[in-house]
Amino acid sequence: MHLLYGFDLQLNDGKSPFQRTFVNQVKRCAEMSRKLRFFKDQIHKAGLVPSPNPASEPDVELEELEIQLAEHEHELIEMNSNSEKLRQTYNELLEFKMVLQKAGDFLVSSGNHAVAQETELSENVYSNDSYADSASLLEEEMQPGPSNQSGVRFISGIICKSKVLRFERTLFRATRGNMLFNQAPADDQIIDPASNEMVEKTVFVVFFSGEQARTKILKICESFGANCYPVPEDLTKRSQIIREVLSRSSDLEATLEAGLRHRDTALNTIGFYLSKWTNMVRREKAVYDVLNMLNFDVTKKCLVGEGWCPIFAKTRIQESLQRATFDCSSQVGIIFHVMDAVESPPTYFRTNHFTNAYQEIVDAYGVAKYQEANPAVYTIITFPFLFAVMFGDWGHGICLLLGALVLIVREKKLSSQKLDSFMEMLFGGRYLLLLMSLFSIYCGLIYNEFFSVPFHIFGHSAYKCRDATCSDAYSVGLVKYRDAYPFGVDPSWRGSRSELPFLNSLKMKMSILFGVVQMNLGIILSYFNARYFGNSLDIKYQFVPQMIFLNSLFGYLSLLIIIKWCTGSQADLYHVMIYMFLSPFEDLRDNKLFWGQSVLQVILLLSAVIAVPWMLFPKPFILKRLHTERFQGRTYGILGTSDMYNEEEPDSARHPHLDEFNFSEVFVHQMIHAIEFVLGAVSNTASYLRLWALSLAHSELSTVFYEKVLLLAWGYDNIVIRLIGLAVFAFATAFILLMMESLSAFLHALRLHWVEFQNKFYNGDGYKFKPFSFALLTDDDD
Amino acid sequence: MGFLVTTLIFIVVGIIASLCARICCNRGPSANLLHLTLIITATVCCWMMWAIVYLAQMKPLIVPILNETE
Repeated sequence: MHLLYGFDLQLNDGKSPFQRTFVNQVKRCAEMSRKLRFFKDQIHKAGLVPSPNPASEPDVELEELEIQLAEHEHELIEMNSNSEKLRQTYNELLEFKMVLQKAGDFLVSSGNHAVAQETELSENVYSNDSYADSASLLEEEMQPGPSNQSGVRFISGIICKSKVLRFERTLFRATRGNMLFNQAPADDQIIDPASNEMVEKTVFVVFFSGEQARTKILKICESFGANCYPVPEDLTKRSQIIREVLSRSSDLEATLEAGLRHRDTALNTIGFYLSKWTNMVRREKAVYDVLNMLNFDVTKKCLVGEGWCPIFAKTRIQESLQRATFDCSSQVGIIFHVMDAVESPPTYFRTNHFTNAYQEIVDAYGVAKYQEANPAVYTIITFPFLFAVMFGDWGHGICLLLGALVLIVREKKLSSQKLDSFMEMLFGGRYLLLLMSLFSIYCGLIYNEFFSVPFHIFGHSAYKCRDATCSDAYSVGLVKYRDAYPFGVDPSWRGSRSELPFLNSLKMKMSILFGVVQMNLGIILSYFNARYFGNSLDIKYQFVPQMIFLNSLFGYLSLLIIIKWCTGSQADLYHVMIYMFLSPFEDLRDNKLFWGQSVLQVILLLSAVIAVPWMLFPKPFILKRLHTERFQGRTYGILGTSDMYNEEEPDSARHPHLDEFNFSEVFVHQMIHAIEFVLGAVSNTASYLRLWALSLAHSELSTVFYEKVLLLAWGYDNIVIRLIGLAVFAFATAFILLMMESLSAFLHALRLHWVEFQNKFYNGDGYKFKPFSFALLTDDDD
Repeated sequence: MGFLVTTLIFIVVGIIASLCARICCNRGPSANLLHLTLIITATVCCWMMWAIVYLAQMKPLIVPILNETE
């Protein structure tokens, strides 16, 4: 990586966002994108689908676009508020019409009892011009001093159907029962303006007497959100008002329609350009954000930027800069200058579709330090392999393979679509899934499990009955009469009583062996890291004692396991390992596996004991000695006024600093590292036993579903029960075994990599190289 | 087939796979090294898995005892 003027930028980190030069432009872009979001919302609410205009128009300038967007927004807002008002008026008219229609029935029936002719005006009277007639009619009937009159008056109105019961009860209580409440459901539904959905309403008429009752009732109406409308008692007046209301509401309807059409046309025209405008604004905003990271040098009238670029891209960058100068016909060229850097460069691994998923899962734990060994190289194979050790069933492996193949075959189509987050993760890991399934098929063949059923693919079993009657097969067992089954676990084990003891022993030892091998690989990678960075101290005082410690204990255990398998000895390995520590000089008797075992054990024990202070003590002292040698005579600090610093830009990445050597800190750090390794050797080895645990769980679940669901259902002759059994088996396999167990095995294999493998060598404290790219601009705003 | 014969088969398969990878996708030294590493790792993992299961069954200490219900 070179530090240079130009790319992944860091110069203005110190300044606040408001001091930077292009902050106004960024604000304008943000405002424009807000307007665009508003348009998109409106288009969506109107139920239109924006169809992009296929004909490519010439690009608009940003300032022109700003003005256009402002105009459109203003127009849309105005149209919206107008149609709101109209709609409200229309609603009220509708309600009035319903009240007139229904209340008329009540009044006809009540008008037959000789009641007083006064009608009451309610508060919500319309003062529109078209009501001039009706208003004058109603005014005529207003008697002076109606409060003194007794006699039955009424209030008519409309209320939501859900509130009618409570309304009636409240009215009853408020007027102490001195009222008559008539209600009838309205014929049509009306849009409730508050919730914007259709509600059912009920028309009501309340007959009461007295002024106090009137005020109470009106107040209650208001609190319940009931709208009161005046209904004249006289039949002719009523029909006249109904006619007026009908005509006015049809006018309004036409107006509303016209308004809606007008708005839809406007939205459609906006919709043509919407995606183009959104893209443009997004790109401009990104460009201004990047420009903000550059330093604007007022005296030299230029923009200065520092950044990183990969070495292989240098010539391409120089060419592009020349082309840019030419294209915008500027007089001054762009200067591209390589500098030395003190701080660590970013890490950049070039990946393709296949390796990208693995690099992502390694980076999720920590991005590699600049130029340290990349564990992803081994992870590509060992991660799916450890997954498969925990998942091993070649039937399930085939299902996973089919899924992976579907994703890979439809790669082009799926990569252009926008997927939801679960599918996106699954699609991103399609090659991961492919390898996982291939290794699962392999491990399934080795464990000899096809949906938990063993097959005799690789020849006959190695076991048979002792005699023809198989009489003691249930008590003493079969006998091994040939060589071991050539590939995988012998099929005779499945279903036997001693299956679990055998498989458990096999899988536990297998886990330990895999664990020791992977940890050794990790330590060897730390050797290569130390060699690359020229750190011989780490090799001599960290790599060597670590190898000695791990292998004299757990490498020796692996050796014992293999010897026990090869010789068929009955030695108890727990006993051997524990007494190696407790009483190393005691005679081994039954636990002797090979000649010279006691002597070897003592030697290994001593090496392990020596290795611990070897990795703890020498390194801090040697570091201290090296530091005092290097900085002898430099204890007064560096003079910072040499000429080469005069032309420095103020915020350059080169800050000369003097390392303070804090011995206690280094010593404690080394101690922590040593203790972590020593204790970790035991705990990490035991951690690999999860390979055994999960494969046991998978196998047992699979057996249960097969025997207790499928075979049980198949035992009946009834076709319905068989189908149900098959369906339950399929669902259980798909959801529990394929999805849940996959996730579980994925997680545990990942943990084994991140912790047990990587903590032997990985620093993971780097940062990623993130070059600016239009293609990577995400739809953050949407 | 004995242990050694099958081990030899694994080695041969590994060599053939690396030759195929070198012939089919020869894409620069760094990519070639990556492919070689992948193939060697895969061969070693698969061989280890097989070898462990094979060795465990060579001289077993227990034998299958059939279940009563069978």
